[in-house]
Amino acid sequence: MVLGSIILDSFKNLSANLLRSALTMLGVIIGVASVISMIAIVEGGQIWLVSSIERLGTNLLFVWTKSLTIEEQRMFQGRSTGLNYDDYQAIRQKFPQITVVPRLELDLQIKAGDRHFSGEVTGTSPEYSKARNFRAAQGRFLLKEDIDEWKRIAVLGKEIAERLFGSESAIGKEVHIGNQRLTVVGVMQPKGIIYGSNYDEMIFVPITTALRRFQGTDKLRSMLIHVPQRETMDRVMEQLHAFLIQRHDGVDDIRVRNQGDFLNAVDRTIWTFRIVLGGIAIVALVVGGIGIMNIMLVTVTERTREIGLRKAIGARRQDILLQFLIESVTLSVVGGLIGVFVGIGVAYGFGDFVAQAMPGGGDWGAVIRPSAIVIAFSFAMVVGVFFGLYPAIKASKLDPAEALRYQ
Amino acid sequence: MAQDFPLIKFEHVSKIYQTGEIAVRALDDVSFTIHRGEFVAIIGQSGSGKTTLLDILGCLNRPTEGEYQLNGQSIQTLSDHALTTIRNQQIGFIFQTFQLLPRKTALENVQLPLLYAGLSRVDQRERALELLTRVGLDNRTHHYTNQLSGGQQQRVAIARALANKPDIVLADEPTGNLDSQSGQDILTMFHQLHAQGQTIIMITHDQDIASQAQRRISVADGKIVSDDQVMTSHPLMV
Ligand SMILES: Nc1ncnc2c1ncn2[C@@H]1O[C@H](COP(=O)(O)OP(=O)(O)OP(=O)(O)O)[C@@H](O)[C@H]1O
Ligand SMILES: [Mg+2]
Repeated sequence: MVLGSIILDSFKNLSANLLRSALTMLGVIIGVASVISMIAIVEGGQIWLVSSIERLGTNLLFVWTKSLTIEEQRMFQGRSTGLNYDDYQAIRQKFPQITVVPRLELDLQIKAGDRHFSGEVTGTSPEYSKARNFRAAQGRFLLKEDIDEWKRIAVLGKEIAERLFGSESAIGKEVHIGNQRLTVVGVMQPKGIIYGSNYDEMIFVPITTALRRFQGTDKLRSMLIHVPQRETMDRVMEQLHAFLIQRHDGVDDIRVRNQGDFLNAVDRTIWTFRIVLGGIAIVALVVGGIGIMNIMLVTVTERTREIGLRKAIGARRQDILLQFLIESVTLSVVGGLIGVFVGIGVAYGFGDFVAQAMPGGGDWGAVIRPSAIVIAFSFAMVVGVFFGLYPAIKASKLDPAEALRYQ
Repeated sequence: MAQDFPLIKFEHVSKIYQTGEIAVRALDDVSFTIHRGEFVAIIGQSGSGKTTLLDILGCLNRPTEGEYQLNGQSIQTLSDHALTTIRNQQIGFIFQTFQLLPRKTALENVQLPLLYAGLSRVDQRERALELLTRVGLDNRTHHYTNQLSGGQQQRVAIARALANKPDIVLADEPTGNLDSQSGQDILTMFHQLHAQGQTIIMITHDQDIASQAQRRISVADGKIVSDDQVMTSHPLMV
């Protein structure tokens, strides 16, 4: 019964000093809003990254030439030059159950008619399409004979095809890449940006064409490997690594990773983000709490005579304690509520901003979980209690005779 | 109610305020008794120890030395909590500066001691309305305290003091902030209360006001210098 009138009183007192209360709540509002928006943004980022990685295909291994330190380079000189085309063919023979996709990216001049620009050209094999789950929408993707005969053909990403040939069909057209003339045999389906690379801007040529006509050596940048059975992935990884070291004269100059490693790395990164951003948000809330404590101390001093009077006519220590505690909790709870709405607004606003600012970020969105709201809100309440406790205790301990005569 | 002990009994009560090195003996070996139904004025110059005396009488403070018995019970040994209950139930305070809570209506101010006494909202309201009617403010119940004149504010304070039917009304310069007419209205109200058997102890430094009481205790330098019964009853009290 007393509680209801105390809560009502605290609202009256806080609204009597509206500006002061609002400024005091600002710290809590910012704190709660940042907790909620940061969690939502990080959460959205994680979902986006994970789904991006999964869209690359599943059960994938990545093999690439690792960069060596200067000492290692000196030590291994003449023994190995990293991943090459023979490695690719040897792996195909040794591990017939897996799909191996060689890869070589080259920056080259691209020209068709009067349009030209520099872009990235990917040399690869027919298996790429299956491993990446990425197909030609018009014409065809690379074929085995393209590889065998180092054919001068290219398959274009959707955007590249539009940029070079506009609305006309690209199939059968000629495109100058580097110092070679290639015929367009296919245009890919749209795929968008995944993990930083825009698949619609890619140009695919046979791996042998890229190696022998453009690069002039057989050195490969990387290989993508699809393992049909998930359970065998770890074993395949080990065997593959050992096999390549042996082929490279005992030099371990390659890295083998599976997709799970990337997902784990994303997870670790996200956790780092969570901790850092969560820390910042908690600091904001604590600063808000200090603001509450400060203003409550002022309030207690201002209302010393009221406290004296209340005690004189029968308020017990716990009545006074509760009164001021409820006032500080009211501040933090109202601030917390406003903060929840501001936080949701900021999270969605930021989500939209990312979606618009980042090409291919369209499916990016902040993810607000009820648990985040509950956590932020409870934390605000705890802050109100924690930082309101000292001023409330101070008020409850005032000597009634002295408090009544306080000027 | 014939009881064989007085309402108030002071025995060699002293109050010493210790401020750093300096000790002020604000009350010095004070002894007196007050019986139920008395209307007592405590008179003395500024700094003589009147408020100190009132604080002890009202259980806002404890004596440093000596013994204070209220209703036959020694208060020194009581806990703060017990003293709070005594203040709520047995004492009604009236102050020179009214000490009403701002941003509250007359009614809410009168309800306050009833709230702390644990009454239900309905009972609080009913009792507070009755009290405000008694002090002639039934048409001002929903006015905020800053919308009332000084005299009206002091009448709200009287209503609040009477809320829990106290044994003693303690008034510290109740007319000090009022013009003479409003002051006289308050005193008239005290006479009425006294006539109904209410014990009243009133502090003043004004001889004229003190002379309206039934008994006058003069203090100087923390000591009682005289204690007279004013036998002539007030003209209003016939
Ligand atoms: N809290 C305190 N600490 C120290 N000294 C005090 C305290 N309260 C009162 N005194 C001293 O005790 C003496 C009595 O003070 P008190 O307030 O009782 O006087 P009073 O008779 O009520 O005066 P006035 O008529 O001005 O209100 C004074 O000398 C005062 O300075
Ligand atoms: Mg005084």
